Amino acid sequence: MRILRRIVASEYLVLFLCLAWFAALAPVAPGLATPRNLANILAALLPLLVVATGQTIVLITGGIDLSVASVIALASVAGSALVTGAGGPLAGSPLAVPAGILTMLAVGAGVGLLNGTCVAALRMPPFMVTLATMMFFSGLAIWSTQSRSIHHLPPGLLLAGGNVWISAAVALTVALAVHLVLRRTLLGRWIHAAGQNPKAALVSGVPLQRTLILAYLLCGLAAGVAALLITGRLETGSPVHWRSQLLDIIGAVVIGGTSLYGGRGAVAWTAGGVLFLTLIDNSLNLLSLSHFTIMMVKGSVILFAAYLDTWRSRLIAAA
Amino acid sequence: MTAKAIELQEIDKRFFGVPVLRKVSLSVFCGETLGLAGENGAGKSTLMNILGGNLQPDSGSLLLAGQPYRPRSPHDAAKAGIAFIHQELNLFSNLSIAENLFLTDFPTRAGIIDRRVLRRRTGELLDQAGLNLSPETPVHRLSSGQRQLVEIAKALSLDPKVILFDEPTTSLTQREKEHLFSLVARLQSRGLTLIYISHVLADLTRLCHRVAVLRDGQVAGCGPMKDFSHDRLITLMVGRSLEVQFPPPTSAPAPEPILEARDLTRRGKISGVSFCLRRGEILGIAGLMGSGRTELARLLFGLDPLTGGSIHLEGRPVQHLSPRQRIARGLAFLTEDRREDGLCLDASITENISLVAAASYTRRPLGWLRLDSLRLAVAMIRERVQLTSTARDSQPVRTLSGGNQQKAVLAKWLLARPRVLLLDEPTRGIDVGAKHEIYTLIRQLSAAGAGILIISSEIEELTGLCDRILVLASGCLHDEIPKAAFDPERILRSAMAGAAASTPSSALP
Amino acid sequence: MIQSPAAATLRFAPILLFILLLAAFGLSSPRFLEPQNLVNIALQSSSTAIAATGMTFALLTAGVDLSVGAIMFVAVAVAGKMIHHGQPVALAFCAALAAGAAFGALNGLLVARLRILAFIATLGTLFAGRGFGLWLTETRAMNMPESVTRLGTDRWLGIPWMPLAVLAVVCLLAHTVLVATPFGRMIYAAGHDAEAARKAGVPVRRVLFCVYLISGVCAAAGGLVALTQTGAVSPKFGEQKEFAAIAAAVLGGVSLFGGRGAVLPGTLLGALLIQTVENGLVILNANPYIYPLVASGVIFLAVLLDSIRNRAQLSLPGGCQAAAGPSKARS
Repeated sequence: MRILRRIVASEYLVLFLCLAWFAALAPVAPGLATPRNLANILAALLPLLVVATGQTIVLITGGIDLSVASVIALASVAGSALVTGAGGPLAGSPLAVPAGILTMLAVGAGVGLLNGTCVAALRMPPFMVTLATMMFFSGLAIWSTQSRSIHHLPPGLLLAGGNVWISAAVALTVALAVHLVLRRTLLGRWIHAAGQNPKAALVSGVPLQRTLILAYLLCGLAAGVAALLITGRLETGSPVHWRSQLLDIIGAVVIGGTSLYGGRGAVAWTAGGVLFLTLIDNSLNLLSLSHFTIMMVKGSVILFAAYLDTWRSRLIAAA
Repeated sequence: MTAKAIELQEIDKRFFGVPVLRKVSLSVFCGETLGLAGENGAGKSTLMNILGGNLQPDSGSLLLAGQPYRPRSPHDAAKAGIAFIHQELNLFSNLSIAENLFLTDFPTRAGIIDRRVLRRRTGELLDQAGLNLSPETPVHRLSSGQRQLVEIAKALSLDPKVILFDEPTTSLTQREKEHLFSLVARLQSRGLTLIYISHVLADLTRLCHRVAVLRDGQVAGCGPMKDFSHDRLITLMVGRSLEVQFPPPTSAPAPEPILEARDLTRRGKISGVSFCLRRGEILGIAGLMGSGRTELARLLFGLDPLTGGSIHLEGRPVQHLSPRQRIARGLAFLTEDRREDGLCLDASITENISLVAAASYTRRPLGWLRLDSLRLAVAMIRERVQLTSTARDSQPVRTLSGGNQQKAVLAKWLLARPRVLLLDEPTRGIDVGAKHEIYTLIRQLSAAGAGILIISSEIEELTGLCDRILVLASGCLHDEIPKAAFDPERILRSAMAGAAASTPSSALP
Repeated sequence: MIQSPAAATLRFAPILLFILLLAAFGLSSPRFLEPQNLVNIALQSSSTAIAATGMTFALLTAGVDLSVGAIMFVAVAVAGKMIHHGQPVALAFCAALAAGAAFGALNGLLVARLRILAFIATLGTLFAGRGFGLWLTETRAMNMPESVTRLGTDRWLGIPWMPLAVLAVVCLLAHTVLVATPFGRMIYAAGHDAEAARKAGVPVRRVLFCVYLISGVCAAAGGLVALTQTGAVSPKFGEQKEFAAIAAAVLGGVSLFGGRGAVLPGTLLGALLIQTVENGLVILNANPYIYPLVASGVIFLAVLLDSIRNRAQLSLPGGCQAAAGPSKARS
């Protein structure tokens, strides 16, 4: 029991789980350990890593952002619509690629700013605010495209997501940047303090409102970057990109060990969670299990992780 | 001699390692009213919470009518016939009076609440409590005095043998208070056993048959009420404990003011408080609970908005500034409850200590932390406050003892080099050794020219450290006592007289 | 406490909004206020209103049930599967309600027993439930025989009575439970302050468990009503219904912070209000893709109103616990 507790309370729990899962399924799942499949896992993991990294920031403040999946869809169609060869206003222009990229990032940051303002200044519960913005912006993406995908995108825009090495560079840059913000900057300290004890933070001179707004803004920005990667990988701008991936995003962060109660979390942990979820997805696919079985397994894994989080919080509180 | 209703035998209770009750033995006889007196923090409420099932003693035993009694929850206590009227009220404001009284015991017919019976039984209880209100009235519409009476009606609904009153009059108007007393008299005539905690000694004299005085978690005296004059009670309450030595002052305060408050007012809490704190001075604020001590500190620090008055820090007005800006001007605020708003308990020692000062250890424009110099500064400040050297920097502060946690809060503020410190209960719930170290630090700070405002429930602490003491009562300055005239009994008497003279209704404009 | 005009306006905001909407749509299209259309609004809102009634129970405890839509899907998948295999409709419907109860019990277990935050627990069962439903239906649409759709279209006095009857029974039953039973009052107490309720002797965990059970059964019932109206089980059945249910309850004055609100008239009115918006948009020939935009705008407004109502109680921004479950019960 004591050893079990040690493992549960360990920072590297999820890496243990990854190894155990890999070792258990490698003999059964055909081709799990082949280089080609490993490259597949990497490619699938990168956009998730980017958006989950942003989510980590918000969870550390004790909030949550359910709107990230919708932000991906909206940013993807907004950026694509601007530059598509099929009638985009900037089609063929030399400015098309930077403008498209900037649009995606701006959409992400804009929605994040809106979320943050509602949570920090209007004091609305983050869960409900981002639920409403999730529905609204998903609806906006679908309405503005009449539910059609956007093709004929300039190759420059697709480069970041299309090439796995460039994707990896972008994703790692984002992850590293957020890691540094959280660990090495004043803002990072404030983000942690806001989640650990907002009252103490306020007394200690932490500008709570500004900190929260920035946290949601960064989260939205990361979703914008993810939109760039996903659009490039699938070579389309689509209003239904990642429609059902919300649970993967939050699940990856929570499985990694970032607490839903706020105050505790790290980009490195999230990377572990992302690896674990992608591994599950990939290996269950290799076992040719159906979409819905995978859904059920993932739902259960996430519930299990949430239970571990509750358990862990209690272990720490009792210590 | 009648039978004992309650007997406490050698009750011990510690909070986070600090003893709050030490071998308390006390008997309450059937049908009598026992008064309980003592300074704030003497352990009265803890004792009542143990009887009422909110807390469990670390050792010792309780007997109820001669039988062993070990309540695990207030519900257990209620079932055993002990009702507890709390200082802070525990009603559900979203429910009606009747629903609050019968929440776990509704009269039903076929599973449906029998509103007629409910109304009748609530009406009877409200009559007993002397409250002329409809049973259907939602609790959120009641005044705090009315809520108090509803609490009593709720206690009566359980048909208790013993009722504990914890400072029931603090939020009552004079009329409501008279009403409560006639109710208490009726309960006494019905033969109920009552335990009554109060700061108002006149009330104790009027209501109680016997009185017990608690001091530092021990019974300092107990006997028939008529044997205890007010003077004797006060002497027992403040009797000097010899454990703590106060370091002597090494310098005198400078004449020039560093913090000036003029006519500070916050509606309903503080009215017209003016004072001046000088460089190198240690100024004490004494007052009972609810006197507005903490509210005053929060106003000075900018956590609550002023409704009137001004604050000058080193000659410049600061009343329009945020706490963050006041920190930058050299103000620091050590809060009353370090666990609630002083520390991030799950964060490391380093993170906690550096939270305030981190802003000045950054490189522009990205706010990049200069971690090395920050780490060095934290190490130095740890040394200075003598935080236990066995704790690692990365250890969560939750794992520290109360004394070390308090040193961590102090370190957090000292790292920001404040020139004025507001210390609200700086030594609450910490051991004697740590207390002494904190006193020494306070002396050093004032010798270095800082102005220090100390709020404390321990009068001894104020008389031992301060150059001057202000007495606060019901949100007003009631007295100012220079060092030459320090006398614990006078201070306590002044605080109590101030509280008794003005009921809350007159303090609320 | 004296109610200021602003507070009173906030309190009656849903009714004011409702009247305003009726007036606006009525002015822009005469067809809107015809009795037949008003009956249609009630009919179209009935399944959401039934699910929202269950949601109200969860919200009153300061929790939330995000799996409502998934439970609706599982329930109709169970019923549809059984009917396709030739079982009698009554038996199939009972099995569907049992499936709803089972999922509700699972939620209750996760929240009350394992003390997982309500929103994450029910988010997990949302996905597990959708997966289970897809597995049951093999991701195909199932059309229902006439014996099922007749239930939704059978007319009495010219009105398809069954959905309205179920709606009335569920609302009245829920209202009675909440207002007139000890259990109902304990829900309010637990939602106001779980820790104080526990100290007062309220069996908070049992209350929480029952609340999610009720929510599950209501969701199943709402799903069945929708099934009789649409006549088909599609893979998207019930998708995002949880949001409509939350919106209906919150619009009707149920607080996300627990302990305040009611099914009648609150939640029912909220559900009707949302349907009125959609119905009005249809009559005005608006682009169907715009419905979710308007609906989420309405939810946003409801949440904003709720947080303004709660401003006095909330001293700090940022924590998700307020909407995320009985945080006070954690300790």
